[in-house]
Amino acid sequence: MGTPAGLYYLFALLMLAVAGYGIVLLVLSIAAHSPLGRDVDISHAFMGIAMAGMFVPAWAFGPTAMWELIFAVLMVWFIANSVLSVQLFGLHVPHALIHAVMGFTMVLMYWFPAGATRGSISMSMSGTPTGAHLDGGLGLLLEFVLLGSAIFTLASPNKGASHHGSHIPVHVMSGASGPGAPVGPHGGPGVGLPGDIEARVAIPWLEDLTHVVMCIGMAFMLILMV
Amino acid sequence: MIGWYMAIADAEVGRAAAADATIAAAQSTREPRDLQRTLRLLLATVWLFDAVLQLQPFMFTRGPDGFSGMLNGLAPGNPGWVAHSLTWNASIVYHQPILTDAVFASIQFLIAFGIVWKRTTKYALGLSIVWASAVWWFGEGAGGIFVGRSTPLGGGPGGVLFYAVLAVVLWPSDGSDRPFVAARSVGQRAARGIWVVVWGLLAILMLVGSGRSPRALQELVAGMDIGQPGWLAHIDRESASLLLRHGTAISILLAAVCVLVAVGVYLPPRFTLVTLVLAIVVFAAIWVAVQNFGGILAGGATDPNSGPLVILLAVAYWPLFGSQAVSRIPGSERIAMVKGV
Repeated sequence: MGTPAGLYYLFALLMLAVAGYGIVLLVLSIAAHSPLGRDVDISHAFMGIAMAGMFVPAWAFGPTAMWELIFAVLMVWFIANSVLSVQLFGLHVPHALIHAVMGFTMVLMYWFPAGATRGSISMSMSGTPTGAHLDGGLGLLLEFVLLGSAIFTLASPNKGASHHGSHIPVHVMSGASGPGAPVGPHGGPGVGLPGDIEARVAIPWLEDLTHVVMCIGMAFMLILMV
Repeated sequence: MIGWYMAIADAEVGRAAAADATIAAAQSTREPRDLQRTLRLLLATVWLFDAVLQLQPFMFTRGPDGFSGMLNGLAPGNPGWVAHSLTWNASIVYHQPILTDAVFASIQFLIAFGIVWKRTTKYALGLSIVWASAVWWFGEGAGGIFVGRSTPLGGGPGGVLFYAVLAVVLWPSDGSDRPFVAARSVGQRAARGIWVVVWGLLAILMLVGSGRSPRALQELVAGMDIGQPGWLAHIDRESASLLLRHGTAISILLAAVCVLVAVGVYLPPRFTLVTLVLAIVVFAAIWVAVQNFGGILAGGATDPNSGPLVILLAVAYWPLFGSQAVSRIPGSERIAMVKGV
């Protein structure tokens, strides 16, 4: 007996819910011409789908190399975002950094799946040619970072901001000014969409919650892998 | 095409970066960091980590290779009534592994998230004290105290007890973080008293029972290298060899360090700082070289052991000077920087 299969299915469903929410926000942001936070939505969509496939192998699809490439690109994108942010505005912890860490974690999980045999539903990906394992120390560090991010995201008074780093008053954004300016799904400038839909879907605490769920799911998978 | 994409990408990167800076600026002008809450959130992170560890396949497994087997293994050597309570608990877990483990994990998730939400922080910390005490008894066999296997090198007097101590010294309260965060909750005198008791106990446990036995200390580490990454297995072999050759001397030295750290909180802040750094370095080394990160890297661990919690406790006693300290005025949201004095 091991972890009940139902738990893996539960995590997989949660991951798909995160992915689905990311896709909805992405569609809304495209419709509203509001690019801010779009990268996080894309990232969550891919991560959610990929993680669901890790928890339930029957739901996995696509070659490993494709997923590695996707998450490597996302990681580089978020690292570039972080570096630029620090260059422009001095030393601080950019919100993109945790997304870069998550991208890095995903790459590692695809690169070193060989150790993922401790779960009752083992991962579907084939091992690396060398049979190498993810280093336990690195895994532990990433688990602490991910779970710490989950806790500090929940505790943040700026709901949604720690997720996208973009929930700011419209007037500070370029391309929009004044109290009547349209607002995009992530608080950025937007046009055309009824505010009702956005208000109902792009809820800051819900965005935080998806980040928390993703962090916990990823940390759990790392524990299973290491 | 590439140019168009780059332009879009630049715009988005720039906007996100601007957003970061705006938020950072807003936070910096809003209020200084509440150190007590920050430390509580770190404690919540460890609780969340424990909760996720509780979901490992091993925890749901029945028999000698599972969680109930581990609990059962704590009983031998204990006085009859202690052993009976441990086997009774192990028996319940054996018969209902999924139900009991689901309950255990849920309680730990509840504590972690409860600490985060301000309205439930006190309830969650209260629950954490009760839960930590129960786990100390039933899950750690009272830390091995009754069988003389409670050396701090192995996590004695029980890593989970530090969760309870941290819940007390980080209990939400108004007031100043000076001279150290732990004093804000229970007052300077009581906080220093708790510190002395904790470190005094650690010093005693270094010297009693198996704590000063080279063979027993070596056995703590020997065999732990199975399933560990190569670099940690190498450290294990070195530390096992060192403990076998100089175990008694190391125990006496560490006991002396604990006594020094215990009295350190009564010394001038600069000297306190030195003793705290010493405590952090020593327990970080123990956490890696002896406790092996609680055995997490080899699988089957229930918690990260005492290392990170002792370090977190030390941080709660870190002397704060001048503008580092925050004064929270009861009954108001006004926060003032305490300067001078």
